[in-house]
Amino acid sequence: MTKLPETLAGSPEENEILDQEEFFASPPFDLLSIPVAGRLLRWRHARTLLQIPLLVISVVMILQGLLGPSISPKNLATVLTWVHFRGALVLALLCAGNLFCLACPFMLARNMMRRWIHPRFNWPRKLRNKWIAVALIILVLFAYEVFSLWSSPRLTACVILGYFAVALVIDGLFTHGTFCKYVCPIGQFNFVAATSSPLEVTVRDHEVCGACHTKDCIRGRREPSSQLAILQRGCELALFQPAKVGNMDCTFCLDCVHACPHDNIGILSRLPAGELMSDPQRSGIGRFSRRKDIAALTIVFCFGALMNAFGMVSPVYVVENWLERQLHIASQATVLGLIFALVIVVEPAILLGLAAWITRTWAGVKSGWLAVAVRYSYSLAPLGFGMWLAHYGYHFFTGLYTIIPVTQNAFAEIGWPVLGDPRWTLVGLPKTFVEPLEFGFLLLGLAGSMLIAWRMAEEDSDDHPVRAFTPWAAVCILLFLASAWLMTQPMDMRATMMAG
Amino acid sequence: MTIACTALLIVTSCRRHEDSAQDISIVESIAPQPVRVGEAAVSVQLTDIHGNPVSHARIRVEGDMAHPGMAPVFSDARESAPGSYESPVNFNMGGDWVLLLHITLADGRKIERQMDVKGVQSR
Repeated sequence: MTKLPETLAGSPEENEILDQEEFFASPPFDLLSIPVAGRLLRWRHARTLLQIPLLVISVVMILQGLLGPSISPKNLATVLTWVHFRGALVLALLCAGNLFCLACPFMLARNMMRRWIHPRFNWPRKLRNKWIAVALIILVLFAYEVFSLWSSPRLTACVILGYFAVALVIDGLFTHGTFCKYVCPIGQFNFVAATSSPLEVTVRDHEVCGACHTKDCIRGRREPSSQLAILQRGCELALFQPAKVGNMDCTFCLDCVHACPHDNIGILSRLPAGELMSDPQRSGIGRFSRRKDIAALTIVFCFGALMNAFGMVSPVYVVENWLERQLHIASQATVLGLIFALVIVVEPAILLGLAAWITRTWAGVKSGWLAVAVRYSYSLAPLGFGMWLAHYGYHFFTGLYTIIPVTQNAFAEIGWPVLGDPRWTLVGLPKTFVEPLEFGFLLLGLAGSMLIAWRMAEEDSDDHPVRAFTPWAAVCILLFLASAWLMTQPMDMRATMMAG
Repeated sequence: MTIACTALLIVTSCRRHEDSAQDISIVESIAPQPVRVGEAAVSVQLTDIHGNPVSHARIRVEGDMAHPGMAPVFSDARESAPGSYESPVNFNMGGDWVLLLHITLADGRKIERQMDVKGVQSR
């Protein structure tokens, strides 16, 4: 810290304020400027390098899933997908950013396909929103429960294969990053979660952009002699760097980094979830408060986390049996569908609708109740992320080492036990370590959501910010308590009728 | 590398353990019913093609949850009567379980039998 001259030194309080200002004014950390990783990421083929291992692993998972052991804990497809991949994904989002999309194997396959097949169509204007993705996320969560995907290596392999197929068909027909921006459920999950990430692909110096005439970051860099030949792609998801705000829709593909002729784009540190505290015009997105589809995505992200965890504990069977008896429904899928509708549609509609109505009437916020609900629904993103972290982090840490015996077993089965006999007793970290961590993730999410709701309330109501804040704080606390209660319930993972 | 891994996995995946004792009949059961979290008893009856009990076999019981990433449980069965084996199994959580019976006969032949235990109830 720079020492102030004595004449300028003020009271301890003033000095503390100066210290804080100095801290926030200091240049942010830039991942691209660190010696080894930065240099690697700036390399034009860095993404491909990261995608190749994931593509190889995907192929291995598909083959083992289809042809390997039928018992889920002994198959690489299920172990990697439902234990390691999901956990690593959310932890990477927490510690860095959208690294999965950066190393996405589906896009490597797509890029290879596009060497020969050039898409001819533009994605229909009416579909340029997140509604399809919202429906797909709900469908994936529902399929996960109703087909007990976690218990079936075959179905897990089919899901991975299906994912490749859909990505290739969509991006084989439609130009740019259509699949990533409008369809991919994993991508949308990552986009919402990444709003709470500490890193962002963004401009280093806006003055440099002001003087830039080529706009290569979005247009791409072309061959000077032939404007048709693209040397380096610009952003496929229509994010213009100088006007880009936050991580929504950013796949961390680094195309803009490679395209910028001024080396003016970095992966910079920032306040996690800070992008949700204000509502600026965002390139390629617009204002969050006017995007009901992204608000719905955030709501599904948050309440879907609750539903996904609820489907894995004992009380879900009590509710299922009760509904079956009361409504005389024999189909388990129908009952599950009903529970999904209650948790993901009815519950948020009531909670957020009520909170918006109270905010309007009690705090005198002038906007309509739907506009208020849409605006404040974004404040739930950190809490939803906390729930996913708690859930997926639990499986990841408690099953961390299971990949070792599963891999040993794969080698042993071909009569080549180079890794030794499978040590099935290798499991993971003890629950005494993992459970406090889960609780910490939830608390972190709650703190983030409350802070954002408070900032919004301050902005919306000069006279009664506490009144505007209170209903949303109540929603956050209610969701937090529900999640904490779920954490304490005994796990009870039953495959339903569909999976046998 | 992809091709190498693919080939390795195809070989891995296509290789199956064949029971080397087709002439042995196995009848397994579990008690109490319904199965709840906690200890349960697995009973295995081994008989040969003529219905005679098969003694002096070693049976190792492995219990796996249907969800990956959970700790498996292991126990060894003891022969309570000629051809009758019993083993305790500690179901440490509710849900669907798969029990694998790893049987080694007195003459060294090996048999593996899978036993699905659906819906172990939480207490």
